[in-house]
Amino acid sequence: MTKEQVDIFEKLQAQLGGLHTEITALSKKSQNEALNKFKLKFINQILADANILLDDKYKPFNDFDLFDEIEMPSNSDAAMMLTQYLNCFEKLRADNIKKEDKFPQNWFWIIDGKLSTIRTVMPKIIKEK
Amino acid sequence: MTLIRSRLNDFHSLPFRQEEVDFAIPFLDEDIPLYVDPFLLWKINSQQDNSLHTSIVNSFNQLGHLYVNRKENETKSILIELSECNEVGLGNSKTRQGKKIGNKTADEILALFKSIPQINKQGFQHFEEIQLFVDNISKDRISDISCSLIKSFLIDFTIEQCQKLGIPIEKCTVLIYDYKNQKVKTEETYLPVNPDNKQPIILTPKRWLRYVPWINYDDYFESYYIKDVDKAFDGKLNRVQILNFNRNNYDLVHTYISLKEQNTKALTNDPLFSQIPVLSAKRKLASILKLQTGKTNNADKEYEDLMVQTMSSMLYPHLDFAKEQSRTDSGTQIRDLVFYNNRSYDFLKDIYDTYDSRQLVIELKNVKEVEREHINQLNRYLTEQFGRFGIIFTRNKVPKSIFQNTLDLWSGQRRCIIVLDDSDLQLMCEVYESKQRHPIEVIKRKYIEFTRSCPA
Repeated sequence: MTKEQVDIFEKLQAQLGGLHTEITALSKKSQNEALNKFKLKFINQILADANILLDDKYKPFNDFDLFDEIEMPSNSDAAMMLTQYLNCFEKLRADNIKKEDKFPQNWFWIIDGKLSTIRTVMPKIIKEK
Repeated sequence: MTLIRSRLNDFHSLPFRQEEVDFAIPFLDEDIPLYVDPFLLWKINSQQDNSLHTSIVNSFNQLGHLYVNRKENETKSILIELSECNEVGLGNSKTRQGKKIGNKTADEILALFKSIPQINKQGFQHFEEIQLFVDNISKDRISDISCSLIKSFLIDFTIEQCQKLGIPIEKCTVLIYDYKNQKVKTEETYLPVNPDNKQPIILTPKRWLRYVPWINYDDYFESYYIKDVDKAFDGKLNRVQILNFNRNNYDLVHTYISLKEQNTKALTNDPLFSQIPVLSAKRKLASILKLQTGKTNNADKEYEDLMVQTMSSMLYPHLDFAKEQSRTDSGTQIRDLVFYNNRSYDFLKDIYDTYDSRQLVIELKNVKEVEREHINQLNRYLTEQFGRFGIIFTRNKVPKSIFQNTLDLWSGQRRCIIVLDDSDLQLMCEVYESKQRHPIEVIKRKYIEFTRSCPA
């Protein structure tokens, strides 16, 4: 990844995380309720940027790009899809970060094939273990 | 082309909705069941409306004054002429033609100026009081007399609205009360005309309309009369006797009017259509979902009744409800819902342009499974005013073969029939409650799905 991509990644991940929290809360309240056009518009904007970053390799589903406003997706539809995107973002991150050899063994982004000075946290998959 | 319960704007293909305009859109073949309440003109915070009220009352009192001053026959004929205002089309008539009052009633009304000293001296402050003194005078008469007395203003209002909205107007003659010369005279003016009978149409502001006037006999009798009058008169007297009593006890009526003047908080105009509340929509949906399919225990009738109320509310204000229709077709009674297509939504404009759908018909089928015959039945209705677009509402998901049948119909005849079921109704109800999307979008979604499935 390039430095710009890492910047975009961090912004998008934060935005996706925020949306996910919001929509999950809505979805718990009324899962089948249709999402309004205002929210849908911004979710779609973020998903469009995310699709560019993730590319085909990391995109959660080949046949999903954006929500169709006409289809009236529900809160739970959106929550499910945002979870998928967050997971794929994490996968992309896990593949592009590395632990430094020396103590205190912090995690850094790999930029242009080299360990950069941009710090990150350890992959969730390791953390969970 | 005959539209069902057609309105002025539908006839001229003008796509405005009732909600958007300041006047009640008149029907061409029947009256609007609302009335002009002069008390509203008195109450509304508008100098113009207040002055019009004053003008109504002054003109009416002037007639009384003339009557007292021995111009009895002349005044009676003026009042008879003023007692009907067919141009405004308010009331209960199914033909937009009302009857004027008779000589006797006119005499009874005007005689009040002689028989009641207070009125003889001061005149009326609210002329709708005459309902409490004279038999056979009720809301329709009050409304018509009011409109007749301010017809000149209403004509100007109509012309202004017509110019604003592009409603065609034609040269016509109307009878107008000339306040200065105390005469009813004919005047040439420009007004929209009813295409069926060439009768001129006058528009009335929505803000003046009520189902029942603020001062009315029933309210007087129920909420005022019994409390203050000796029990001997407790409802056992017939109406005429009570009216006689009122004439002889004007002070009581006067107090009632003063009370009504003080207590005007609840006085508002009545809307032409009011949606059912969310809770009620949810209850109706629950009842629909519980209903059996078929005709057992009149389930089909119940389904139709529930759907009429739910759909007309949910699709408002995008679609104005026209009529529920009962008719017999191949032995079964069928009730359709008919809406005016005012092209207020992109999807509605699309079906208007593509399928000439000037009125939208929804067929209700409380059946387990939609069959080919149901599709054909709706297809047969899709003529002229309905254009080539129709909706079936049924209980369960439509079978693939029937969906294919609708697609074939589109391929062969370019007719579009979409079928919605309980799950769509549920979604409509959910969005009606949450207000996150419009219920009409559920129909749009189905329409887009249908269009996407159509062969290229």
